[in-house]
This record gives sequence, C-alpha cells and structure tokens, in this order.
Amino acid sequence: MSIEKTIAIYKEDFDLFPTANEKLEYIFDLGKKHTTLKEEERNDATFVHGCASAAWLMGECVDGTLVLRGEGTSEMAKGMLTLLLDIFSNRTADEILNFDPQKLQELGIIELLSPVRQQSLEAFLKMVYSYAKRCKEGVL
Amino acid sequence: MITLDIQNLEAKIGDKKILNGLNLQLEAGKVHAIMGPNGAGKSTLSKAIVGHYDMTILGGDIYYKGKSIIEMEAEERALEGIFLSFQHPVEIPGVNNAYFLRTALNAKRKHEGKEELNAAEFLRLMKGHLEELGMKADMISRSLNEGFSGGEKKRNEILQMLILEPDVIILDEIDSGLDIDALRAVSEGINKMKDGKRSFLVITHYSRILDYIEPDYIHVLKDGQIVKTAGPELVAQLEEEGYDGIIVNE
Repeated sequence: MSIEKTIAIYKEDFDLFPTANEKLEYIFDLGKKHTTLKEEERNDATFVHGCASAAWLMGECVDGTLVLRGEGTSEMAKGMLTLLLDIFSNRTADEILNFDPQKLQELGIIELLSPVRQQSLEAFLKMVYSYAKRCKEGVL
Repeated sequence: MITLDIQNLEAKIGDKKILNGLNLQLEAGKVHAIMGPNGAGKSTLSKAIVGHYDMTILGGDIYYKGKSIIEMEAEERALEGIFLSFQHPVEIPGVNNAYFLRTALNAKRKHEGKEELNAAEFLRLMKGHLEELGMKADMISRSLNEGFSGGEKKRNEILQMLILEPDVIILDEIDSGLDIDALRAVSEGINKMKDGKRSFLVITHYSRILDYIEPDYIHVLKDGQIVKTAGPELVAQLEEEGYDGIIVNE
C-alpha cells in the first residue's frame, strides 16, 4: 500500500470524529499500539531534537527499505509516532524521498496540533528524510 | 443444547418472595417467550439471571453453559455473554453513548482474549448498526439515554445487544412504549441476532411483538413459577382466554 493510500485510510478514520477533541483522542488511542525501543537504542543519535517531549527514532536500512522504530514519552508522542511509523516505515528510500510531506495535511489533524507539536512533527520528518537519504546512499 | 438451566429458583426483592421454585431451560438457537399477568415475577426472573443487585437468591441454581453462575457478579455474567435489555433503561448524564458502548465491548473482547477495537474501528461498527436500526448519528455523541424518547431508549438497548453479541439475550418488555415503526426496527435487530446458537428470552405482556419475533416456546409465569409451557399456538389461546382461562384449565 502506498504512502498516499495509507494517509487516505487514516483520513477516513479521522473524518469519523466530528470534533477536534475526538480526533486528538483518537491519536492517543493509536498510541496504545505504541512500541518501545531497547534502552541502548535510546541514545543521542536516535533522539528527536526539537520534540516537545522526549522521543527517539531508530532507522535501519534493510535491502533498500527503511525500517523505522520509535519511542515517545507523552501520550501525544506515542500516538503520533504510531501513526507516522505506519505511514513511513517499511518504505523504500525512494518512496519516502519522492513523497511531499505537505500531503500529511490531508489527514486533517496537523492544523489541530499546537505550534510546539507541529515543530515536533517537523523534527521527526527531518530525521525520517535523513534516514531515507542515508539508506539510499548506502551509508545507513 | 441447553444454554441456560434454571433449577428450582427462589428469590426475593426486599422482604417479598417473588420466585417460588422456578424451573426453566433455554435451548440454543431458540426463542423462549415468557408471558404472564402483572406481578407474576417476569422482571424478577430477568434480574435474577443477570445478577441484579436488587435480588436476594433464597434457593435453587442457574447454570449457564453448564456452569453455575449464581455466585457470579453481574459484570462477570455480562462478560460471559448474558445480556439484559432493561424495561426502563437508565439515563446517565455525562456518559457518552459511544464511550459507554466501546468500553463495554472492549471489556468483553478482552475477556474473550480478543484485541480491543480502537475508536475508529468501533465507530464504523456503531454507525453500521445505527443505520440498520434507523437511529440518528447523534446517538454517538449524546449522553447515555439522556433525553431519549421511549423508542430511542429501546433501540439503544438493541444497539447494545448488536454490538456486544451476547449468547443469552433477555429482552424485558422490549416492546413497551414502542410505535409500530420502532417495534419493527427493534424486531429486525433481534431477528438479525438469530444464528442458531443464541438463546432468547422475550418477556412480554402482549402478543404483538411475537408476530415479529417468532417464538419457539411460550412459557406462562404465575406466582413465581412456570405454570405452562407450549408452542407458539399458545399465544392465540392466551389472546382468547386470557391468563386466568389458561391457568384454570391447567
């Protein structure tokens, strides 16, 4: 399933909720499937700088496919990480690099995030694209 | 197969003994209707089966799928798959209908070792059932039964049943206060749950609902005991002769 298709499915989910609060609660709900990293994987190299609450993102390149795993400390970070990892993980580096992150706006939730959380999202995306680039270059 | 086996049940509410050695067996896949005059013990029977806190059990036993449930709390019986639609559903202001239902469903799913549904998965399920029952979409965000009309409350009970998918379904006067359209929608919801495995106990004063939900057995309850059990033909006889006529003829 393409990144766009995954986003479209999430958009359908978010559209089920009539209010901003309910959409945000759904993000928390998604966080229930949040996974964690091993202690040694939570380090400076994986730390998402600029995130409102501590979060780590681990990227591995497996045969040209970027496998992402992450861990957040707040309910919002856990939910957003679960959502974003579902969108970006297990994609080829090219698929990620060719994807315009502005399309995430189609989810209909980005505008609901506070400015600090929007910054966190940018910090996260920066890392994803950095991992994808290094994966493509064979240096990850 | 017997899903629910009530043996010699004696129970009281307050100081008043209402069930006096009641025996009843519900068969899997069958619709059992309980009819009887006012004060016969119909609602008490339903409360006794689900473990309602009003009840004091004085004797006898209730077996569900072969296991005694008499010592189980009401919530444990619900988790095991016993469902009661209330005659007078309670209004609970501040408790969102969708949250309430999702919490109940996920508690049951967890009990059954199934994965819980997230909010979106649940809303899809709920919206599908709302449409089937001809209920408005605002039922999702309204407080549980608060300000609902009589018909909406009963439809909401059926919505709970459809979502929880219980194995033994007790409908306590589900037909009271319903207009024809609501009665039809509620009956369709009930009929949809018939799968050859579930048992239904339909408690009613009137035969009208039995035109929509065809019963396999009719039990007449009087003075806390089942005094007659017969096939659906008993409904017409009851209509003609009344409870007194049937019971005297026994």
